[in-house]
Amino acid sequence: MDLSYQEKSILGSLIAMVVVYGYYFASVLRNADRREFDSASLGRLLLAVIAIIVIEIAYHIVLALESKTEPKDERDILIECKAYRNAYFLLATGACLVITCVIVAGLARDAAPTKIIVTPFLTVNLVLFCLVVAELVKFFTQLFYYRRGLR
Amino acid sequence: MSRGRIRNNIRRLRFDRSEMTQQELAEKVGVTRQTIIAIEQDKYSPSLEVAFRIARAFGVPLEEVFQYEVADSEAGNAA
Repeated sequence: MDLSYQEKSILGSLIAMVVVYGYYFASVLRNADRREFDSASLGRLLLAVIAIIVIEIAYHIVLALESKTEPKDERDILIECKAYRNAYFLLATGACLVITCVIVAGLARDAAPTKIIVTPFLTVNLVLFCLVVAELVKFFTQLFYYRRGLR
Repeated sequence: MSRGRIRNNIRRLRFDRSEMTQQELAEKVGVTRQTIIAIEQDKYSPSLEVAFRIARAFGVPLEEVFQYEVADSEAGNAA
């Protein structure tokens, strides 16, 4: 399959994100009973962010060395705009769902003792999950339009 | 309102100009080769500015490069 520079760049970022955040959220699930987003949680998050940055830099250096870099033109920018639109809708929906979750859990706790508790640890990771999924949607949308075309 | 399609003759025009490559045309127009490929395959309709730059690269009027084809029903209504 003949991939352009932009497509290779997006695909690399997509794979890096899936691998790093997949690993991060697997560790979140293992520690789902935590209440506070403590220093250990922050350390894991920072490690994931640094890993993404390092992988992205290394990948883009290799990509620039082996294939000719191409500046973005109007088609790339248009595809990026469509991708940001989809990602924004997903992020906004996710943010509303997290807010609803926190409010409903608070009301339920006030009304009657319940085991459903939305802890700070869970809230932070839900918001982060929405951010990651929105970014993935952006990458998938870009790859989709690069392959299918803008008619 | 039914939608039409923008067709183009870029492939033929490149052939007529001693097989100008997609890369050469892309450099003249100031877009990537992938964008020229997408335009040729009718997968992307360029902006008016890029359309004029393509026509200028071939030294022909815009209408010789791009044609707007309307659906039969719309053409019938117009008539």
